[in-house]
Amino acid sequence: MISKSRLTAFAAVLLVGVVSVVAAGCGSSSDDTGSTGASGGGEVLTVGSDIPYPPFEQGKSGSYTGFDIDLMEAIAGKIGRTAEFQDTSFETIFRDVAQGKFDAVISAATITPEREKAVAFSNPYYLSEQAVLVKEGSDIKSLEDLSGTTVGVQQGTTGQELAKEEADASEVRPYPEGPDAVNALKAGTVEAVIIDAPVAANAVEKSGGIEIAEKVPTEEEYGIALAQDETELLDEINQGLKEVQEDGTYTKIYEKWFKLEPPKAIFSASEAAE
Amino acid sequence: MSEFFHQYFDFHIMGAHFSEVLEGFFKNLLLFAIVVVLALVWGLVLALIRQLPGKKLMPLRGLTIAYIDVLRAIPLLIIILLISGGVPYLEFIPKDIRIPNWFGQPDPFWFGVLALTLVYGAYMAEVYRAGIEAVQSGQMEAARSLGMSHSQAMRHVIVPQAVTKIPAPMLNEMISLLKDTTLVSVVALGESVLVGREVLAETFNSSAVMLAGLMFLVITLPAARLVDKLIARNQSKIARGSHIEVG
Repeated sequence: MISKSRLTAFAAVLLVGVVSVVAAGCGSSSDDTGSTGASGGGEVLTVGSDIPYPPFEQGKSGSYTGFDIDLMEAIAGKIGRTAEFQDTSFETIFRDVAQGKFDAVISAATITPEREKAVAFSNPYYLSEQAVLVKEGSDIKSLEDLSGTTVGVQQGTTGQELAKEEADASEVRPYPEGPDAVNALKAGTVEAVIIDAPVAANAVEKSGGIEIAEKVPTEEEYGIALAQDETELLDEINQGLKEVQEDGTYTKIYEKWFKLEPPKAIFSASEAAE
Repeated sequence: MSEFFHQYFDFHIMGAHFSEVLEGFFKNLLLFAIVVVLALVWGLVLALIRQLPGKKLMPLRGLTIAYIDVLRAIPLLIIILLISGGVPYLEFIPKDIRIPNWFGQPDPFWFGVLALTLVYGAYMAEVYRAGIEAVQSGQMEAARSLGMSHSQAMRHVIVPQAVTKIPAPMLNEMISLLKDTTLVSVVALGESVLVGREVLAETFNSSAVMLAGLMFLVITLPAARLVDKLIARNQSKIARGSHIEVG
């Protein structure tokens, strides 16, 4: 008996040891504020981002990738700077950029009036879109065709609001997760699914038998955030964004990460403020 | 602490969403009412097949035992997902049955009925079996010696006595069944928990989910007391040594 309880105690100590080592490992890696150099050369532009948030920002310290990262590097290249990324927490990201901890923030951040009180935003660089996902060969071609149908959505998302308020669906079924709704579509228990466009594109690519009938723009626009007194840098970044869009780099980066064509509206959105 | 109460017991939010959650709760009750009848019948059928005599019926008994064991061994959640995601693919079944929309209830409701009946039929079969096996073996022998067939003896002698022994465990299964109707929310049936979670998504407050829990309490707590009463009554009967009337 004694030896057995000793063995148990030993196992417990071992377990605690392993857990604490693992925990310490995790802790130290997330404390890393590693940085990524980029093309362009010139003065460093420090950029804060809450990583990971795929496909916008992801990867390990020193080799961050994603739509935001690629776009920011391209813009920095246009204005003769080198983007250097710092992983940070989203909760404090606007306060930190306002206080000058970073030169800019790119972190899939939606432009809102509340945030605009604390920071200045660039022109929108991304328009969040919803997609109407249907079975291949479906009669449903647009949001209007959803009248009288059963529509699947992910609970608590913009897609659910859209299905309730815009589409005249006879029934809206809120599934706990996006893939559950996509499965229901494939099984034929719902006739369409309204979900974030990148998620829909990913589902089409991975699962087959389904297609995007229509993409629907929403009010959400993402912007690059800067301290309010950085007006000169703001102009430069807006100019850089415009150039990146005009020379096709933006479209290339967009298609790389979202497997979709960028919405036309994004090009006019960034010119509207000119 | 006050944060906790605000998050789960915000009476303002409970009041504002009371009628929606109650409407969802009626779905739970309707689901329960249909399944309880079907599962009681299906469970009895399974239990009786399990008791069939003779070597020839061995495969049928074995199959039934396998069914009862397997359905009790798989999480109900998986059965619900399997049926709701799988049945619509069975293209040899007509579409109106494969994707049922009967009596104003959508297909997730009927998938829930099917899944719960299949699983709770297995659970209830075990309860019936305990009741049948609790009837003294001399009863069966006496009935058979009077010239009754196996099925006559079951119908007139064994089952009537067996069912008087099982109200308490059966009621326990029913309480579990009522609670498990909430699992059908994973296939987007708008029952009380799903409605509560909708409110959560809208308000970032869990009080409506808690409200659904309170509605269940109103039914399940008295039912639990009833179970205790039935057990006490049964025990006092045994203590008095009274025999059970056979109609």
